[in-house]
Amino acid sequence: MEDKKVLIVGGGIDGVSVALEEAAAGAQVTIVEKFPTLGAERIPRDRLIKPEDAFINPDLNKVRNDNNVSILTYSDLKKVNRDNGKVQAKILKHSLRVDNSKCNDCKACIKVCPVNMFDDFDESFSFRTAVDYFNPATGEYNIFKEDMPVCQQACPVNLDIRTYVGQIADGKYLASLATIRDRLPLPGSIGRVCPHPCETACNRQYLDEPISICFLKRYVADVELNGGIEPVYETPAKKLPEKIAIIGAGPAGLTCAYHLAREGYENITIYETLPVPGGYLWVGIPEYRLPKKLLQREVDLIANMGIDIQYNKRIGKDISFEDLKNNNDAIFIGAGCHRGLKLRAPGEDEYEGKGIVDCVTFLRDQALGNPIETKGKLIVIGGGNAAIDSARVGWRMGFDEVYILYRRTKKEMPANPWEIDAAEHEGVIIQYLAAPVEILGKDGRVSGMKCIKMELGEPDASGRRRPVPIEGSEYVIDAETIVPALSQATNLEFLGENHGLDINRWNTFDIDEETGATNVQGVFAGGDVVTGPDIAIRAVAAGKKAAEGIHEYLRSR
Amino acid sequence: MCTGRVDPALVAEAFKKGLDGLLVVGCYFGDCHYITGNHQAKAKMDMTRRLFKHIGMNEERLAFRQCSSGEASVFVKVVSEFDEKIRSLGPLGGDSDPVKAPEIFKKIEAAQAVLAGEKIRWVIGKRTPFLESGNMYGEIFTEHEFNRAIDMIIVEEMEVQEILAGLKSGSRSIKDLSKDLAIPSERVFRYITALKRKGMVALDKVAGRSPIFQLVPQEV
Repeated sequence: MEDKKVLIVGGGIDGVSVALEEAAAGAQVTIVEKFPTLGAERIPRDRLIKPEDAFINPDLNKVRNDNNVSILTYSDLKKVNRDNGKVQAKILKHSLRVDNSKCNDCKACIKVCPVNMFDDFDESFSFRTAVDYFNPATGEYNIFKEDMPVCQQACPVNLDIRTYVGQIADGKYLASLATIRDRLPLPGSIGRVCPHPCETACNRQYLDEPISICFLKRYVADVELNGGIEPVYETPAKKLPEKIAIIGAGPAGLTCAYHLAREGYENITIYETLPVPGGYLWVGIPEYRLPKKLLQREVDLIANMGIDIQYNKRIGKDISFEDLKNNNDAIFIGAGCHRGLKLRAPGEDEYEGKGIVDCVTFLRDQALGNPIETKGKLIVIGGGNAAIDSARVGWRMGFDEVYILYRRTKKEMPANPWEIDAAEHEGVIIQYLAAPVEILGKDGRVSGMKCIKMELGEPDASGRRRPVPIEGSEYVIDAETIVPALSQATNLEFLGENHGLDINRWNTFDIDEETGATNVQGVFAGGDVVTGPDIAIRAVAAGKKAAEGIHEYLRSR
Repeated sequence: MCTGRVDPALVAEAFKKGLDGLLVVGCYFGDCHYITGNHQAKAKMDMTRRLFKHIGMNEERLAFRQCSSGEASVFVKVVSEFDEKIRSLGPLGGDSDPVKAPEIFKKIEAAQAVLAGEKIRWVIGKRTPFLESGNMYGEIFTEHEFNRAIDMIIVEEMEVQEILAGLKSGSRSIKDLSKDLAIPSERVFRYITALKRKGMVALDKVAGRSPIFQLVPQEV
């Protein structure tokens, strides 16, 4: 046991005493503490308590003087790798924001510090300043700074929201747009469709209502668009030669390509099955929420960075995945979830294509302009945004009546509340607490659906109350078209056989959270193909992360 | 003298003496002999106006205007417009000011202490670097954020200065201060603890159950 090394995360009283125990047993101990001091020593509230009089845990001096213990304060544990019975940890040590070698403890900084914050030492009983002495043992000063504002933390791509909203307040619209584009290449599109987790987190809501972060993004993108300004996305002069293939021109793939092009890669090819870019942004989100013209412009801006987008190229059919892997230095898979889940009701298979269309196909057909028969009634089953989109699209296409069937109530509906309200306002009939039982048909076509009323029972694993059918409450709705919009799943047939990639039981990829790397070297994945159906901004975040992962991988080869 | 050197504390002194209006006239932007003097003057006067508005004075009483020394007619126009404005506002602490005399003069005295204090002067002096080149870490602030920070400092510094002014006449308890100054007692408590940390206030004695605080004389 002579080279036993122990890492202790947390330098509180327990951490310190365990460290001493382990050191006494002969191990090399490292303590990692998030705060600038070890836990048992405190900032004296004022200098009435002289350091020598203050209560200090006697273990602290022991642990500091122990040669087998090294102490890392003001450090964060970033990543832990397990390998062959050993653990490797990546630790970020922050530097102090005050040059303590020049500090003579005059306290002038405390007097002028403009930031009064609640003191975490006495549970916010009093104020202290952001700059403060914190360590009675060393007398060092530091400036406390929070990591990120809550909105930025809530945003999957960590957009610098405070800056870009502030720049809009200053009237610097183009500077604001540049700030957004540093992390998000599709501001106009995302600004229209994002369900904005940032606004859900916004602190302003406790005063009146959250800042409209999402629409502000849309606004600056529109200022540029309406002003006729054509930006150019810059790429560095120093080019990198590696070949990179990206599968899918959705938000994940486009973002990945954008960030790689900004690193200087010039041989980036995106393979897209559909004749149009954008993935679900094009074929899932209806025109009234996201105009295709605007999306096309944002895609063109990315493509103009020297990225080759090849449409109508299905991997596994036009090019095999194996060839792609052999001919490229790195591959990013951002294929999305383009397979609608089945209803599993009797009659569904029988009438598949004869009145039953899953929502993915339904929305794709209308987006691509494929003919859809629009007479009679339409029933959409489900309560997500895809269901509302299908219903509102159906209503616009000219169905006589449009129904949405959802088995819980409006409160549990996962769709954005404003979308539900808009659908109801337009005339879509939403039947809550109703579920399909059987698809009815006549002469080889759907003629209606037998439904059953539900009531809410005990909460289930997701925390929502489980719907329970009410015996004998069946009723029939006549309909010519039924669109199940339950959820979507991945379709990984394009990989072919013997691809060697780890695929989990949800039929998605297992990836490294930090880099987006799969278990096969040089193959990266991100977006819905990893997370299952999710929001666009998370796919953008995955694309960015994978671009960083690919860059790191290619440069360290 | 350059308008960049017009000290906000002097501006407050003028109003304390009973002036009803003050016009600061500087050069046009770009014409400054010292390059940034008029920008600094504008920043200082804007901040002072924010403070005056906060204490319940009509901020129109202080104005920053620009004209060149060769433009006699423009100068006459600027001055007569301002003169007309102040005449319409009437005397300080009258109908046009939310806070009336004589309370307004007490507020102005506290405001003068704020403007003479280190905190707001250091921050306003850092305005240009914060907005343009950023701090030590290259973090650039937006004007909106900076103004918000200034507003926060104004509110806090005013309350602190009022507390210090209240202690000048003798030691007081937090409860008394809170009642006299109409500041909630938990806020007074927080300011007092912060002032104690800075070594500006100390515990005098305990009367009954209330701690009584006193001023600590400061070296200049």
